[in-house]
Amino acid sequence: MGVKKIETKTFVRNKFAEYYQECSSNILSPPFIEKREFGFILFSERMMMLRHKNFKNIDTLRSFLKSTISSDVLYSSAYYEEPAAEMEEKGWLGADLIFDIDADHIPTSCPKTHNIWICNNCGATGKGITPTQCSSCKKQNFKEKTWFCELCLTSAKEETIKLIDFLMKDFGISTKEIKVAFSGHRGYHLHVNNEEIRGLDSLSRKEIVDYIRGIGLELSFHGLEKRRDRISPILSGSDSQDLGWRDRIAQGTYNFILTSSREKLEKIGLKKKITNLWINHREDLLRSWEKNKSLRHIQGLGIEKEREIIQQGVENQSAKIDTVVTTDVHRLIRLSNTLHGKTGFKKTDVSITDIDRFDPFKSAIVFKKGRVIIFVSDAPQFRLGDDIYGPYNNEEVELPTSAALLLLCKELARVKGET
Amino acid sequence: MLVAATENISLKRSYALVEAKRVSNLLKSESKENIIELTKNFNWKIKSIKDRIGSLTYDFALHFTDFLKNAAIFREKEWKLINQVLVNGEVFLTKNRITRLLEEEVRRHIEDKLSIKVGSLPQKLMNHVEQLNLLFNEKRGKTSFEDFPKEVDITAFPPCLKSLYDATASGQRVSHIGRFALTSFLINIGMSVEHVVDLLRSFSDFNERMTRYQVEHIAGKRGSRTKYIPPRCDTLRTHGICLEMNEICRTISHPLPYYRRKLRAVKAEVPS
Repeated sequence: MGVKKIETKTFVRNKFAEYYQECSSNILSPPFIEKREFGFILFSERMMMLRHKNFKNIDTLRSFLKSTISSDVLYSSAYYEEPAAEMEEKGWLGADLIFDIDADHIPTSCPKTHNIWICNNCGATGKGITPTQCSSCKKQNFKEKTWFCELCLTSAKEETIKLIDFLMKDFGISTKEIKVAFSGHRGYHLHVNNEEIRGLDSLSRKEIVDYIRGIGLELSFHGLEKRRDRISPILSGSDSQDLGWRDRIAQGTYNFILTSSREKLEKIGLKKKITNLWINHREDLLRSWEKNKSLRHIQGLGIEKEREIIQQGVENQSAKIDTVVTTDVHRLIRLSNTLHGKTGFKKTDVSITDIDRFDPFKSAIVFKKGRVIIFVSDAPQFRLGDDIYGPYNNEEVELPTSAALLLLCKELARVKGET
Repeated sequence: MLVAATENISLKRSYALVEAKRVSNLLKSESKENIIELTKNFNWKIKSIKDRIGSLTYDFALHFTDFLKNAAIFREKEWKLINQVLVNGEVFLTKNRITRLLEEEVRRHIEDKLSIKVGSLPQKLMNHVEQLNLLFNEKRGKTSFEDFPKEVDITAFPPCLKSLYDATASGQRVSHIGRFALTSFLINIGMSVEHVVDLLRSFSDFNERMTRYQVEHIAGKRGSRTKYIPPRCDTLRTHGICLEMNEICRTISHPLPYYRRKLRAVKAEVPS
């Protein structure tokens, strides 16, 4: 078969069109589809969103997806009386509780060396986390090209698992009411469909966010009170019942005592002598913490440092959800089994029982047939399914469609031809 | 009905609050069973418990959604959801705290009822309504705030908005919520739309048409015509915008009063 010359944008659009022609039956109706607003980012007008669309049923949505090719398909977490009306006239009836965990906004175990920054002023570039100031021209204005790796997505998954634990144990939400999905790009989405929660306003949802992120926690309300101990006041708890955040504080602090390195302790500002005591008496400290939530084995630690250490435990237990997505009661969010315009992957539902084994770089792949010749400017190494690709630097390569599409969507390559 | 007919929002609020306080006073001597009976009017999911955790004995377990509907508006730390015992969807509460939540529920309920539109009443009744309005305004006295000065004084910004302002001016990336907080703050302290748009010009993704539209929207010159006020401190904290608190921060819960107070302090220092 000969090689066809083709423009990159048209190529991507055609691939997306192909998907919606063949697979639109995989796209399922969200609950109460007729009360939702839909939004579409169109290939023809990149960046502009077609909003305030509404569909009476899933069939009309499917035909729309076949005729109007979108790079991204979104729907409202909210239910409206008139979903197609202007924002002020929609008549808000309620909204699902939604969560977004994005690898870009959480501390991950990967050094993010796959991200590139470019100074908008002098053009200097570098890899890793974007600096606050350009080292050459001192300006603070950058453009970023981000990538996402296995470590990024594993960290996002770990946070998702923590979130599920909060929702089930503390909030009493059942697995039937929770839907988890890989977003198709850098993280996971979680939807809670529960009638009682639906009517909560933004302020109430903010309280849920603070609970899960560990914001505004006061130790004294969780049984850790200031008590006088021989010479200096110490924090200590006495109750045997560990529930809700009490249990998490206990667990998180225990983990911190167990794993804290000299470096970590010094970062908190512990003096050398105290750090030595800590390292040498770690076992005693663990026992004392387990028995009566006290760090009294370290003489001279001081109540402020105690608080900081327990705060590390809180940090360790909180789930790093996006604060804006959950508090926004009008949010549009990607629809499952539609494609992500930045990757060509599909948003993929994940079963809670199988989340540990879920492999986004396998399950979210859509285009499994054909190969494409592309010219790649700069791309790090990545894995799709069982195959490893790259790194590539200013070179022409022939790749399976899914791998090529990923680089094209991330704007790291252009199409040379399809074989 | 008379209060509803005044169409005076502050009067309705005060009335609802007083009525609610009266109810909660009555509740203090009621039994647990009677309190539960009363909550049925509001469809609360509540049950009676007797659980000792730490130094407190809890009398009720209330579903977290009923808790949040009433407590999310309270600003005290002890009412934050994260500072409750929350297990399996239920918040453990003492009788005292349940009556406080009920008071809020009653207040909202009365306020809702008062928001109905009362048509025209017989003249005799209307005279009473008029009288009510007059009396209320007299008692309340003048509480309206003086306007902010025309010149914006950056040195009186709270730390969070100062750092958003600096980041914006130097073209650093600022989150959407950060941009909203800054824009709504600046508009509210009297900066012109033109000025705000100019400030946002330094963003690398600046789009004049879009930015102007959004700023005008926040200023209440478009769409619903409501002027947006900046988020309160607690919300800024949730979104990671409040990074450090100073002395004044500890005494306020919203960035606008901070600005007002700091301006006054600055004015007092420099006699004109």
